[in-house]
Amino acid sequence: MLSHELELRVEVQNLRREFDSKEKKVVALNGVSLKVREGEIFGVLGPNGAGKTTLIRILSTLLLPTSGVARVMGFDVASEPEKVRAVINMASGSERAGYDYISARGNLWFFSQLYGLPSEVAKARIKRLSQLLGLDDYLDRKFYMLSTGYRQRVTIARAFINDPKIVFLDEPTIGLDVMTAMSIREFLIKEAKENGRTIFLATHNMAEVDAICNRVAIIDRGRILTSDTPTNLKRSLGAPALVMEVSPLPVNLAFLNAVEGVKGFTTSVDEERGLARVQVVVESEECVTRALAGVAASGMRLVSSWRQQTTLEEVFVSLVGRGFVEREHEVGE
Amino acid sequence: MKLESRLWLRALYARMWVRVMSVFNEPLWIAVNIGFPFFSSVGLGLLYASTGLRSFVGFAILGGIMISFWGNVLWSMASQFYWDKQVGLFEVYLTSPAPMTAILVGMSLGGVVNTVPSAVLVAVAGWLFFAPPLSPSWLAVGLTFALTLASLYAMGMMLSSLYLAYGREAESINEALHEPVSLLSGVYFPSIGNFSPFPFSVQVFASLIPLTIGMDALRRALFFSQGLSSIYLHLIALSVMGGALLLLASKTMKLLEQKGRREGTISVRLR
Repeated sequence: MLSHELELRVEVQNLRREFDSKEKKVVALNGVSLKVREGEIFGVLGPNGAGKTTLIRILSTLLLPTSGVARVMGFDVASEPEKVRAVINMASGSERAGYDYISARGNLWFFSQLYGLPSEVAKARIKRLSQLLGLDDYLDRKFYMLSTGYRQRVTIARAFINDPKIVFLDEPTIGLDVMTAMSIREFLIKEAKENGRTIFLATHNMAEVDAICNRVAIIDRGRILTSDTPTNLKRSLGAPALVMEVSPLPVNLAFLNAVEGVKGFTTSVDEERGLARVQVVVESEECVTRALAGVAASGMRLVSSWRQQTTLEEVFVSLVGRGFVEREHEVGE
Repeated sequence: MKLESRLWLRALYARMWVRVMSVFNEPLWIAVNIGFPFFSSVGLGLLYASTGLRSFVGFAILGGIMISFWGNVLWSMASQFYWDKQVGLFEVYLTSPAPMTAILVGMSLGGVVNTVPSAVLVAVAGWLFFAPPLSPSWLAVGLTFALTLASLYAMGMMLSSLYLAYGREAESINEALHEPVSLLSGVYFPSIGNFSPFPFSVQVFASLIPLTIGMDALRRALFFSQGLSSIYLHLIALSVMGGALLLLASKTMKLLEQKGRREGTISVRLR
């Protein structure tokens, strides 16, 4: 089936959201537009403070937009929240939504009743979801006795208990161990593929987006910078990234801004080895030679250099000129 | 049955079930709930008995029964949504199609069930220890008790809605409300009528609290055999208060939800 033949599940046009703080007006979303279809896992990738959570809160009816239109299954999130709520569900990695002294099974049954499910249907769904998420042996433990990973599995199961058309997930694997995160990702892929569910995922985990998303929108300071499949985005950069290890510390890399063909770079310092690792997003092979020559010309020592397969981090760097971590510091300031 | 009614009933029952099971799965909570009203009413009962005010002993026991429900309204109803908001549960409620009134009524009924052991213990122990003189009109007692609980929990729903607007102050508000309301409503002594120690203006103010009207009517029906014909004004007042508070709670909840969506305060929580 062609992608445009699939049902349009989320449609956002020129969405803007402002927050009034004591000092100033903060623009969390600034003219966001996007479309997401049936069965897609759509990632919204950006550093902390980029506007991902605000977008999810608007789409899940928890927040009103300042202007613009957002439709979920054709229903306006601002004026028809009740209709939207009947077909969606949501979960966040930072929530602890469960009653401590009730078992995981009891909690899931309770949440199913908020959607009016007959108990027999609810029980069957709990069984199916717990099998898929590896929760079977933990269903009768009280919620507070579960580890963080299993609590998060319960949270994910909750988000699918009503058989929703669209599930909004905000950093669903944050703080989880690799194996738990992996099993949750496998579950999400299965749900999208086999049940045609649309999964709208906000995250700053690039590996997660790369692993499971059909399409991704990169967001920064409330604006969508680009949107495509992860493969196309990485391919658009052309050449693989250049990684250089330079010393001595502190390094001055201002010269890289002047090198033709350098789209941006990120730096991390390895104090133990006394060097800085610089990841440079380059436009072409010629640019690599110029960047390496620039290191020597600036009086620094090139300890080693290699080329690295392009990741979504480099795509972000090429669009913003800075990496995620640097951007988060900027937003924090 | 219509789909909406089914959803309403299921959400109500589920919220009640969670509230009841949460308490009965944690026996320490039951002990805590029983302790305060039990010892307070026994203490006051002993005091009244030792000073020769035997008819007041019954007031102390009745007060112990009713204070259990008032404590439950304040500590487990009013501030519940505030705590739910902190852990992300309020978002779960809001993003579901379940009507908020069903959640509130479910919470109330669960609260009533949870408080019954404490109320029964105070009643039985009080009767065994003190054998207070009773002269009941049981129909009036039953009706007054039901209407008092209804209006008390309607007040809890109203407070619950209001508490959404508050942050960490919720606990301080509870502290600030608990004792003054207990005093004004005359839980352990008559605060309105001929035996009230308060001036008329304070009595009028106290009468705005459903618990005050309920306590007065219960004392009349339980200890002075006053029937429905004597306390019908109390019953009308309780019904009006309960209805008005329910309506107000539902309106306030809608208003605050809309305000929260506009200002972005629904999802603020502890991390």
